[in-house]
Amino acid sequence: MADSTVITEAAHGAHGDVSHDDGSHAEHAHHPTERQYWIVFVALAVLTAIEVAWSYAGFEGAALVVPLLSMMAVKFLLVAGAFMHLYFDLKIINGRVFSWAFGFALLLAVIVYFVVFAAFDSLPF
Amino acid sequence: MSDVAVAQGVETHDAHAGASDGEHAGHRTSLGLSNMKLAMWLFLASECLLFGALISTFLLSKANFITEVLAGNPNVTSTMPAELIEEFQAAGSVEPFWDIPFTSASSFILLMSSLTMVLAHKAVSEDDDLQTKVWLAATALLGSTFIAGQVYEFTAFYREGLTYGGNLYGSSFYTLTGFHGVHVSGGILMLLSLLFVAFRGKLNSSRAETVELVGLYWHFVDIVWVLIFTIVYLIP
Repeated sequence: MADSTVITEAAHGAHGDVSHDDGSHAEHAHHPTERQYWIVFVALAVLTAIEVAWSYAGFEGAALVVPLLSMMAVKFLLVAGAFMHLYFDLKIINGRVFSWAFGFALLLAVIVYFVVFAAFDSLPF
Repeated sequence: MSDVAVAQGVETHDAHAGASDGEHAGHRTSLGLSNMKLAMWLFLASECLLFGALISTFLLSKANFITEVLAGNPNVTSTMPAELIEEFQAAGSVEPFWDIPFTSASSFILLMSSLTMVLAHKAVSEDDDLQTKVWLAATALLGSTFIAGQVYEFTAFYREGLTYGGNLYGSSFYTLTGFHGVHVSGGILMLLSLLFVAFRGKLNSSRAETVELVGLYWHFVDIVWVLIFTIVYLIP
């Protein structure tokens, strides 16, 4: 419901039916609150601490690399989604299509990376 | 009659758009984002390719370096001090070389700067002049601290024997982290420019998008460090 409101506002803004200020406020109205920014920061700090602790825990191979890469991916998504407002901007540009396109491009890039490193026999696990 | 009305409507809209362009970074595209924001995202996409290439090169050269060190290839082992090579051979990786606690502190500082950056954007959106200056200054200060740490780290690595021209591993490491450092330095200059504009009293909510664009760049640099920290430092 909230999504459709945002999309409708964005569509109106694109056609000039509402002022630019209205569009801008529609964007800012859906940005995180200060409290949410602090929560994201605490999550990032905790994940970094866990990453460092995990690297000292004595794990090897996939047991070391997979959790580290997973935590890295979560941190990536937190910064891009909340701090860079990507999660909110993708909603504004009606972006089911763009969300899927972004996700697909990201997945494709990761697959290409793994294929290249496998080709050079350089996978870390 | 209706044509006149339409023409007047277009004129009014254009006049509004013109005035708005002066105040804001640019009018909105059919995607619902402003032109400037879309341009920044495209620029950041091109930066992804740059850092993707640098990270790939580093990973490939690291794997090759370790293989050659373990095999005792004199062309590689002669490029670094013997004690260091012995440490690498004993560990089977370059892990003993890193100062993880120090780099973790640097990572934390850069993450904190991302928080202060979004708080600066929030403050300028709400026309809170004092908070805007405080958070912008804090972000620039944290970024400078990170760069100071990187300079210290580079100096320590150089003294221990990892040089830029010694081998491909050293070259790719310094190129990757150095490029990141240059991007952080560029971000600090942008922040100081915003701070200068703020002190002249010309940074208010009508320019919030400019702060947001600098913020996008800053967070991107933070994201790149999230990748570098895990891939370069934590994964042996």
